[in-house]
Order: sequence, then structure tokens, then C-alpha cells
Amino acid sequence: MSHLHRHTNADGTDRGHDSATLMRRVTLACLPGLLAQSWFFGLGVVTNVITAAACCLLIEAMMLAARRRPVSPTIADGSALLTGVLLGAALPAGTSLWLILIGSLAAVAVAKHLYGVLGQNLFNPAMVGYALLLVSFPTQMSLWPAPSGLFGPDAVEPSTWLARWLGQHPPAALDALSGATPLDAFRHRNADADAALLLAPGAMEAWQSVALAWLGGGLYLLHRRLIDWRLPLSMLVSMALLAWLFELLSASGGVGFHLLGGAAIFGAFFIVTDPVSAASGRRARLVYGAGIGALTMIIRAYGGYPDAVAFAVLLMNLAAPLLDQLVPDRPPRQPAAMVSSDDD
Amino acid sequence: MTHSDARDIAIKGLWSNNPALVQLLGLCPLLAVTGSVVNGLGLGLATLGVMLGASASASVLRHQVRPEVRLPAFVLIIAAFVTCVELAMAALAYELYQVLGIFLPLIVTNCAILARVEAFASRQPLAPALFDALMNGLGFALVLVLIGAIRELLGQGTLFAGMELLLGDPASDWTLYLPGDGGMLFLVLPPGAFLVTGLLIAAKNAIDDAVKRRRPAPTKTPGDERRVRVTGVVR
Amino acid sequence: MAVLERLWRSLAARARPTGGVMPPTRKSQTRDLGIHTPPLPARVTLLLEDGRDQPWREVQPIVRPGQYVRAGEPVARAVGHLALPVHASISGHVSALCMHDESAPDGQHRPAVVIDADGASQHQWLPALDWQAALPDEIIQRIADAGIAGMGGGGFPAHLKIRAARQASIDTLVVNAAECEPYLSVDDQTLRRYADRVLSGAAMVARATGAAAIVIGIEDDKPEAASAVRDRLGELPCPARLEVIPTRYPSGGERQLIERLLGRRLSTGQLPVDAGVLCHNPGTLAAIHDAVALGKPMIERTLTLAGRALDRPGNVSARLGTTIEHLLIDAGLDRARLSRVIEGGPMMGQAISSLSQPITQTTNGLIAATETELPPPPRARPCIRCGDCQPACPAGLAPQQLWWHAQAGEDQKAEANGLFDCIECGACDYVCPSHLPLASGFGEAKQRLRTARAESARADQARHRFEARQAREQREAAEREARRQARRQAAARRGQQRDATSGSKETSAAAPDVRGLRIAQAAAKAAARKAEKALERAAQQQESADVLADLETQLSIAREHLAAADARLKTARQEETRS
Repeated sequence: MSHLHRHTNADGTDRGHDSATLMRRVTLACLPGLLAQSWFFGLGVVTNVITAAACCLLIEAMMLAARRRPVSPTIADGSALLTGVLLGAALPAGTSLWLILIGSLAAVAVAKHLYGVLGQNLFNPAMVGYALLLVSFPTQMSLWPAPSGLFGPDAVEPSTWLARWLGQHPPAALDALSGATPLDAFRHRNADADAALLLAPGAMEAWQSVALAWLGGGLYLLHRRLIDWRLPLSMLVSMALLAWLFELLSASGGVGFHLLGGAAIFGAFFIVTDPVSAASGRRARLVYGAGIGALTMIIRAYGGYPDAVAFAVLLMNLAAPLLDQLVPDRPPRQPAAMVSSDDD
Repeated sequence: MTHSDARDIAIKGLWSNNPALVQLLGLCPLLAVTGSVVNGLGLGLATLGVMLGASASASVLRHQVRPEVRLPAFVLIIAAFVTCVELAMAALAYELYQVLGIFLPLIVTNCAILARVEAFASRQPLAPALFDALMNGLGFALVLVLIGAIRELLGQGTLFAGMELLLGDPASDWTLYLPGDGGMLFLVLPPGAFLVTGLLIAAKNAIDDAVKRRRPAPTKTPGDERRVRVTGVVR
Repeated sequence: MAVLERLWRSLAARARPTGGVMPPTRKSQTRDLGIHTPPLPARVTLLLEDGRDQPWREVQPIVRPGQYVRAGEPVARAVGHLALPVHASISGHVSALCMHDESAPDGQHRPAVVIDADGASQHQWLPALDWQAALPDEIIQRIADAGIAGMGGGGFPAHLKIRAARQASIDTLVVNAAECEPYLSVDDQTLRRYADRVLSGAAMVARATGAAAIVIGIEDDKPEAASAVRDRLGELPCPARLEVIPTRYPSGGERQLIERLLGRRLSTGQLPVDAGVLCHNPGTLAAIHDAVALGKPMIERTLTLAGRALDRPGNVSARLGTTIEHLLIDAGLDRARLSRVIEGGPMMGQAISSLSQPITQTTNGLIAATETELPPPPRARPCIRCGDCQPACPAGLAPQQLWWHAQAGEDQKAEANGLFDCIECGACDYVCPSHLPLASGFGEAKQRLRTARAESARADQARHRFEARQAREQREAAEREARRQARRQAAARRGQQRDATSGSKETSAAAPDVRGLRIAQAAAKAAARKAEKALERAAQQQESADVLADLETQLSIAREHLAAADARLKTARQEETRS
């Protein structure tokens, strides 16, 4: 038992790199991306995040109480809060309360607690919640508003906002509210001659700026060595490779389009880097990230959903333990000889 | 068959040895066709009919069938009854027959029926066999209907939609509609079926635990331990 | 395919980092202050191993209370095959043969030889030995008589290591001067001041083992010690070289050092002698020099006293059996500042419970730490699978995997993933952000496996004893049958008419299968020969007593089977001739 610890301060408290501080710092690194998203898509983003965070914390507390475990130390390690923030960021702006609640239930109660305590969940909780919502409520989950700015139509009238939050909007208004995302356009690339026409004005730039803001947060995480660089790098490299290939084959999309459109940057730095659900060996992480990138591109190009980061992540989460076994860091062990009974 | 035997069979078939929630048999139709109440009810009734017929036949023929070939023989009996039920449903409720599709013939492979026939009906006289088949079939059907109800209510926002397929035209205005526009699509899909079934099993276990906790613990009578050798005690 | 495998392996080897961590070395407290000799204590307590838990280390006192002893006089002799004789470290009267110890598990008295000093420094050394003329066995015997154990913390009897090395015909002696643990600077000081004694001891060991080369490994944060050694390399009789390795913890782990200095990789369970190498600590070599050249047995050692609770930290040369309290007070201990005392280094050392414990041959350092210097870590949190422990492990293991297996009680799986390669260095503890006690968890898992293995070996031995009894009964039955058969034949020959009138009372059974019995007898003979060979081999390798006893039991089983087969064959042959 070592009496020296890298992560212990002189007064016996945790130093920066321990798991609780890690969660807090990652949550902080979400701020640039969230601010950018709010700037372009309205206060709906803010309500998403706050609602999701509150729901996740509440559900975590209830599950801990039901399992008769100590509540406050586990809440204090910040992982439920982070799950809520990530889930809120992934959802379209202004998603209704019920959807967020169901998503948080899936993320915290099912994906995290039904699998054990922190550190034992097989799947990324935020992505489980998001994928469940995507499959369950396909219409509401494609209600990405056109970028109308911070004080756009959503935010000006509080009553409209409240009604949307409570899930009461007449179905007819759906079309008026939603705008196609660039990835929707990519998905229909073969059908329409000029897919760019489907996009609302300024949508492409808005999405790209949002992606760059998330990139800023991600670079901060890299700089402070809070995440393993292998994960985002391998994912983005494999995505770039396949994007370049698809551009050659079908003359649409392109590396910049795919890397900056949709949730690729967000996923690369904030979702794929979740240490619990990712592979743990260094080489295995390279394969894991590359797999996520490849699957994302393939599903985007040929699958039934416009953005595929969530599904790619969940599929590779399944493969992560196997990757740890198949791609070890060091060469496999030599067979064990007789055990020496007297250690020197 | 005494009264307490009957009570035993009933409790086992409906609750403590429920084919769907405890034995976990027949999960294929359970998960595939329970998207709505009418589907679940239709398949449940079909399975109940087959179970009654097969159990009765196996019980009556139990001394004639040689032990070495009993399983193929039972499968033949079950297949015969499934064919009857399938034809009956095609005649009486054709749209439902089309909706249920391949899951009607697949009742032959439903392990719940074969297991009951092999484990119980082929070793008991007619009356207990019939009663056991009735209880197990009812237990299975009830679970089918329950899961169908949950999935239909939360997944499609309706309840009892399409009951006229089974029960005739007067049942067409039984349908309830939940306010709102549809439900969680997820629950109508197969993963939702897994989730609902899992939660039902969890709920049943929770109820069992709560009941056990409320009952006082049984005291151990001396002599419960059998001494096998002087050096050890078998508990 | 094999070519690809080799290519992959060489690429992997090049890319394989060496593992290890860089904790703060904190050696500036003590490294430049020389070696100080504190005043002699008024009483020393020499702990004895009583053999209850570890019978192979048992020693027996050979003095009585009240007896006067001189420093260097033997006071306990070795009984177990891994035990060492104990010598008085000061002159004086033996006052007791046990030590009052609150922390002892059962009872409060541990066997020891307690000597009260008489102030006079009388000593009694062994005669000096001309090692260059002496036989290697004489050198080894002298090392054994001097009671020297490995002083780098391991405590294994030095003479046994050297003897095993000689039998294995090693080619290289490695001097492990890495001293990678923080705080400790014993080897640094010893080499700076006494490089001649260390190198002389190395030469002696090289001669005793037949090693052809000497390699000294030292970390690059000890330039003065390195140059002290380099200046004297030419004095060694055999080719010697000094390797300066980068400072990293744990570069001084035996297996890691051998791999780095000589490029030889040990597989699980292999000892350095299997790779033709013997490793020794500089302090051990200096003690060997003293024992051979001066006849001085093991009565004192140098150790580091460090920690900010001391006013005068440094390295001291202290007599064995001195209490820790005596040494720390001499170094200016401020009890108000003291939080805890660690014996050894901060990475692998143990916190001690009582300052009245004596120092032993394996105490290489005492750290009197303040609260802020070595703070107790916060509560352990769940493992978040961050993977930081993997690059830190010097043995190339995946501590995360081993931890999950050990926690789940899957010790066999942990072993399959290399648990017994773990040297419990604590580097993984050091980096874990969840403050998990990884190294101690692995130690516990190893202990569980060893205990299980020992129990199953004991069960096997019991079974063999039972089988021996059964075999003996079978042989006796077969021999009785043979005798009866012979008597029947003799009776039949004497009274043939009586047989004819009474009819054949002996119904002839089926014809005896002589051929089958002959085959069985040949097989039994082969089995007995195999058991004999196994016993011979084990005796040569000097296995422990109960292993030998078990093999003897198996040999007796084989012999009983052989005798029974002989008897049965004899019976069958007699029946055959009769019919």
C-alpha cells in the first residue's frame, strides 16, 4: 500500500485529477458549446440542460435511496450531473419535460443503476437516454428549430416557451418550428439535386460554429489531460477518412462537412471519452475510437437516422470489453511456471 | 384431487410458477405479439385452448405412450390441437388470424405447453391435468394481456383498440384514447417488450419480497438437520 | 505466419514503455549528510523467529538469562532450513529471552534475546578469511555463519542465494544500487563512503558463485556515488561495468533491473538464477566483505532516518536490536509534529504501530512523517476504468483487470492475467485517481491463492498416506493368498488319495491370467522406479521436508503395489503348475 499518492493534497483531500474533480471539470468544459448552442438556437437549450440535470440528479437520489446506499457522497461525485448536461445538450432545443424525464430515467435508472454503481455501466448513460428518445419519439426528436438566435421566436414569448416545455404544442405547428439539419440534407443527398435548398438560411454556419465551440471545450480537456487523446483522435481520423472516401464516391458531404456537422465533435470529446464505457487499454482505445468513427459515417450514409453518433457509441460500448481482450497493450503473457513460495 | 391440491395448482400456475414470469417459457410469442391487448388476448386464448386439449389427451393416453417416444408423441398431439385452433381462428376471426401470422403455428414450439404436458399432465389423471392446464394457460394469457395493455397504452396511446377483431363488432367502441399524440414508439418495438417484461418480473419479485418480509420467519424444528457422518452436518 | 509474429513481437517490444512513475524523491533531506553513528543503546532486543507460523525460519537461543555475551558472539542458532544464526550486537548481560509486545497477535511475548549493555565494547569476531585463497564453499559457509540476509528489504538468507547461484552456474553478478524509493539514501551514502568494501564484497561473491562479470546499476540522481564506484572499477578482478539508469520508480525491482541492464526477461515464477544472474544490495555486499575479511558477523546496519518530524535527519549506522525510538530521538524527533512512522520507503513500507520495536536486518529506512508530508489518502471510490494504472505498472500488467478479478473473488483469473508477476511496488496505488488500495489487494489475492494451494497440497499428502495404507493391506492380502496356495499345494501333494475319494473339492476357477498379472507386475515395477527417481530429484533440489516426506509416501505406495503384484503372480504361477 503506497503512502505517497499523486492525487492527494497535503491535507488529505483530493487533488485535481481524482474522479469527482474530473467530472466537475468536464462539466465546465461543456460551457462554450452550450453557450454557442444557446446563442444560435435559443433559450430552449438552456431549459433542456437545466431540466435534464435536475431530472438526472433527482432520479439518481431516488435510485440510491431505493437501493439503500448513501446518497450524498455519490451525488457529489458529479457523474449524474454530467450525464444530465450531456443529455440536455444533445436534445433539440426546447424539448418537453416529459421527454427529458423519460430520457433521464433511461440514462440514470436503467443504464447506470441497473448495471451497478459508478464504474460498472456497460453503456454510456447519456447515449442510452438519447437513443431511447430517438427511437421512441421520432417526430419530437427531429424538431430542431431553425437558428433564430438567442432572442428568437422561442424566447420572446414566455407562454409559448412554457407550453412547449410542458409538451403541449399543436402538431400542426411542428413543421413551422423545425428546420432541417445539415445532416438531414446529407441523408437525402441522392434524392434531391440541390440539398442545400432544404436548409434554413444560416443553418450550416450556425452548426459549424457550435461544433467549433464544442471543439474549444474539448481542447481544454486535452490540455488539462482530463481525457485520453487517443479516443477523440482515432474517432475523428477514421471519420475524416471515410468522409473523404464517401465524397469521392458520391460527391456530397466532405471531410469538413461531416466533422463539423452534427454531433461529431461533441461526441468525440465528451461522449467517446467517458472512461467507464470505453475500452481501457491504450491500444484498444485506438481501435474503439476508430470503430465509432467508422460506424458513425456508415450509418450516416446508409442508415435510417441522420445522425448516428449515439448508435455508433452504443455499438462500440458493447465491443469494448472484447477489444480489451483482443488488443492488449503488451504481448500476451508467457505460461506461468511453478509459483515461487518465498518472495525475496 | 383435494381442495388444497387444487389451490396449490392454482397458485402455482397463476403466480409462483407462472410460465411467462417465472419459468420464462414461451418468450417468443410473448415479446412479439403483445403490442396490443387484442393480440395478446387472441394468442393467450389460442394457447389456453391448445394447452387444455393437449393436457387432456396426454393425461388420457399416459399409459399407452411408451416412455422412449413420449416427447415426439406429445409434440404430435400439440401440433394437432394447434392446427385445430389455427383453423378455428381463421374461420372465426380472420383479421386477427392474419395479424398474428406465424405465431399461431409457433404455439407448437411453445415450451410452456410441452413442459407442462411432460412434467405434469402425462403423469396425472385427467382432472388434475385439466385444472393445471387451465391455470397455467390462464397465467400465461393474463401476462400476455397485461403486457399488451401496458405496451398499447404507453406505446400507442390507446387501449382495447381493435377488440372487434376478436370479439365482434360491438367491441369496436371499447377503445380508449389517451390524450396526447401517440406514445413512446419504443414500447411498441421489440426492445420495449423486453423492458416491460423485465420490469414486470421485477415487480413480481418485489411483491414476493414484500409479502415474505411481512410474514414471520418459519422456526427451525430440531431434527431438521440430518446427520450423515459423525464429523459433518448436512443442512 | 511465424515471421509476422516475430515482427509483431519486436515492434511491440520497442514500443513497450518501461512503466513506472515519478514520485517526488525527497532525498535532499538526507543524501549529503554522511553516515552518523548514534550512541550505543542501553538495551538491544534481537527478535527470534519461533517457527510457529514459518517453521523453515526457526531459530533457537543458545544463551541463558544472566549470561554475559560479547558483541559478535552467537546467541541463537539456525534450526529451519531458511533460518540464520543471530549474534549479539552489543556486549552485556542477557536479561530476558522474550520481548513484551502489545502488537503481537497471540499473547504478548515474542521470543527474543534481550541484552543490557555493560558499557564496555568487548567484541568477538570470527577469524579473518583470505578469500582469494579460500574455496568458494568456505566463503559461502562464512557468509552463513555471519548470519547475513539480503539488506535491500527482502531478508532472504544471502548464503542460500549464493549457493543456489553457484549450483546454477550464473555468469553475472548485479549490484542493485538503484535505490528508487523516495527518501532512502542508504545505498547512496554507502557507495560514496565505502565503495571499496562494497566492491570487495562483490568480488568475493563473484568468486564464490563463479560469476564472470559484475554489473553495477545505479540511478542517475546519485552522481557522487556513481563516480566513487567508477574510480574503483579497475580494482575488481573480473570484468565490471557501471550502468547509470534513469531515475524512475521502481527501477530497483530485481526483475525490472535485470531486464534493463542485461536484457534478460524472466517469465512468471522464474528466479534471477534461472537467467544466470544474482542480484545483491550494496549494503549486503559490504556486510559480506566485513564478515569475510574482518570476521565481523551481522550486528549493525546503515539506514536512513528521514521525515520532517526529525530535526536531524540523515543516515545512521545502528546496531541491530536498537529500538526505533532510540534512533529517532537521537535524530531529534519532535513528537508534536509526528503523524506516523513508516518502516522502509513510502511506496512499499509499512506504518509501524509502536516505537519500542527494534530494528532488524531488513530495516533500511525509517520515515518520521508529519501529517502534511504523507497524508492518509481520502476514502477509496469505485474504479472508473480510467486506465492510468496500466502504463504505470513496471511488470507490464493491467492492474485494472487484476483488481476487478480480485474483487470478484476470481483469483484464478487474476493469476492467469499475471497476478504473480506483480512485485507489489505500489506504483498503481500512486496514480489511481480513485485512491484504490490496489497493491495490498493484489497481495491479499496472492495470499489466498498460496493458502489454497498449500491446503490442497496437504490434502494430497493425506490422501497419499491413506493410499499407502490401502496398498499395504492389499499386499498383505496377496501374500497371505500366496502362502495359502502354497500350503494347499503341499497338502494336495501329500494326500492325493483323499482328494480322489472326496472328489475335487477345489473347483477349478477360471484359468489364472498369468500373462495379465505379469504385465501388471512389470507396470508396478516401472512405477516404483519412477517414484524413486522423483524422490532423488527432489532431494537434490533440496525441497522442503514435507515435500520429501510426501514423495517417500508415494514411493512406499508404489513398492507395496509391486510386492502385491509379485505375490499375485506367484499365486497364479502355482495354480498354473497345479492344474
